[in-house]
Amino acid sequence: MLDGRTVPVDGAAISLRGLEKRFGSLAAVDDVSIDIESGEFLALLGPSGSGKSTILMSLAGFERPTKGQILIDGADCTPLPPHKRNIGMVFQHYTLFPHLSVVENVAFPLKMRKVAKAERIRRAEAALKTVRLEGYGGRMPKQLSGGQQQRVALARAIVYKPRVLLMDEPLSALDKNLREEMQLEIKRLHSELGITVVFVTHDQGEALTMADRVAILKDGKLQQISPARELYERPANLFAASFIGEMNQIPVDYDGGIVRLGGGQALALPREAIVQPVQPGRAVLAVRPERVRIVAASGDGALPVTLRDVVYAGAGTLVIGDLADGTEIRARIPSAGSAKLRAGTILHMGFPPEAMLLYGEGAA
Amino acid sequence: MIAAFFRPDGRNLSKAGIALLMLPFFALIFFAFLYPLISLLSISVLEPEPTLENYRKVVDNPIYLTVLLRTLWIALLVSLLSLALAFPVAWLMAKSKGPKVAFITACILLPFWSSVLVRTAAWAVLLQRHGLINDGLQLFGITSEPVRLLYTQGAVVVAMTHVLMPFMVLPIYGALRNIPADYGRAAAICGANPLRTFKEVYLPLTMPGIIGGFILVFLTSLGYFITPALLGSPQEMMIATLISQQIREYLDWPFAAALVGVLTLFVTVITLAFSKVFRFDRMMGGAA
Repeated sequence: MLDGRTVPVDGAAISLRGLEKRFGSLAAVDDVSIDIESGEFLALLGPSGSGKSTILMSLAGFERPTKGQILIDGADCTPLPPHKRNIGMVFQHYTLFPHLSVVENVAFPLKMRKVAKAERIRRAEAALKTVRLEGYGGRMPKQLSGGQQQRVALARAIVYKPRVLLMDEPLSALDKNLREEMQLEIKRLHSELGITVVFVTHDQGEALTMADRVAILKDGKLQQISPARELYERPANLFAASFIGEMNQIPVDYDGGIVRLGGGQALALPREAIVQPVQPGRAVLAVRPERVRIVAASGDGALPVTLRDVVYAGAGTLVIGDLADGTEIRARIPSAGSAKLRAGTILHMGFPPEAMLLYGEGAA
Repeated sequence: MIAAFFRPDGRNLSKAGIALLMLPFFALIFFAFLYPLISLLSISVLEPEPTLENYRKVVDNPIYLTVLLRTLWIALLVSLLSLALAFPVAWLMAKSKGPKVAFITACILLPFWSSVLVRTAAWAVLLQRHGLINDGLQLFGITSEPVRLLYTQGAVVVAMTHVLMPFMVLPIYGALRNIPADYGRAAAICGANPLRTFKEVYLPLTMPGIIGGFILVFLTSLGYFITPALLGSPQEMMIATLISQQIREYLDWPFAAALVGVLTLFVTVITLAFSKVFRFDRMMGGAA
């Protein structure tokens, strides 16, 4: 592809085995094992301090894990220094070398690999073409916009055809429109090159749109690793449920088949609502706000709700109310039917059985 | 009244305001530097009568040219030695954090704040016939009798390097500190080993600091007086000592002024050459 042809390279398969990184007594990464397939696009998602960056830095070789192994195509590269890993990487703040022109920046990895000058300029120009920056080679990085600089960084990361591309929140310094444009650009490159991508982000939308699979991390521990749809629709635990998107969390009593709400209402729970085994007793019923509907009082499973706020937001309206026991419940409904809703009134809300998920208390 | 110093938006200074704030600086430069220098240089061509005789004397007598060349040579040695010693220190400072930086900075600045005279005298104590160094050399059997260390060119170079090194450390440290850690990482992941990373990324990005420090040390060395006068040998004079001698011992102001003229010419030419070759404006990242 860098020669103008579109021959995808095979991405490398990566295997993290029992990875652990301790800083003093603090475990930044705690026994994380992930198998990444060849050519996969994996997003590492988590709040700051969750260990996602440390995992990426260990993959790149900038951090030495205190325990565990990193295998790239089956070969243990844990002790290998970064410059011997043949991995591409894009950093948060572009990190183009300010004293080199754009084409010299892109040719830099080839220079380190002792490619002859004419050849490396030719390949650098081709890589610039791949990121649609043809003709910008002679400029200095400072003369480019943030988005263009990040594309140059991308070109520099792929010019030597690495089989793994690491990205450390590469879009967080860009404004919203550019960010969306770059998301598409990176997706396109990924499918064109067939390279394995590991992408760190704290932006869940970014993770869901871009990645084949998303790994959610919290306090250095892997919470869940699944494709976007499964992650959103069947989160493995309360943390994953509340971290991705919005989630109503209703405290309930669970007797093994039926859940009883604080207000006394009982709901029959389908078998699919249980993602991980839940012990009878106190539990949390989770429902996405967009699955909650306003229903007739006589309907099956209709819950009385006192409206607190009605927030109009164009296409949709957010309705916030309190259940009988005071638990907050949110519904996102189409704005078309919301004109007559007023705060302070009492109405009924309900949700289909398949929208319910049950988690044990304290399982977050 | 005050309003005149601010632009209508009230946030930036007006041109008059800027001019007023700059006034003391320019006044100082004029009365304490330009005026004396120009009067001195005018003496060199006007006394005893309008003539170039004084300059002819500098050029004609090989002794004076030798002094000038020796001065340039010593300044170059001191600058190179300072660079070699200062770079690792600046590197360590830039790579350290918190109290460690404060400690290294203190180690550099504390001697910097003490008088040059004291530091030069300290070297005289160390280097004298029965000083610490000579005693040490004999103790370990490296020499059998005291070696002449004081009043040599070597003593001058070592002591001047010691005195002037902070001028080299600080600009280099400033340049290094401004290089984000990710640059080193980016180079490494691109396949550059640590040596290559240094050569291809850190060195070029530090160059403005290196040149800045080099010029500071070099130009200061050219006109250095106390250290060569106290530690150097009278047979191997530097130009500042020569000028002082002409004024104080021979009362030959016009000739001393001509020597100053030659020194000023050298300093100007060297500064211009440096800025031409190294393109300051470009390296500062300004007009890229």
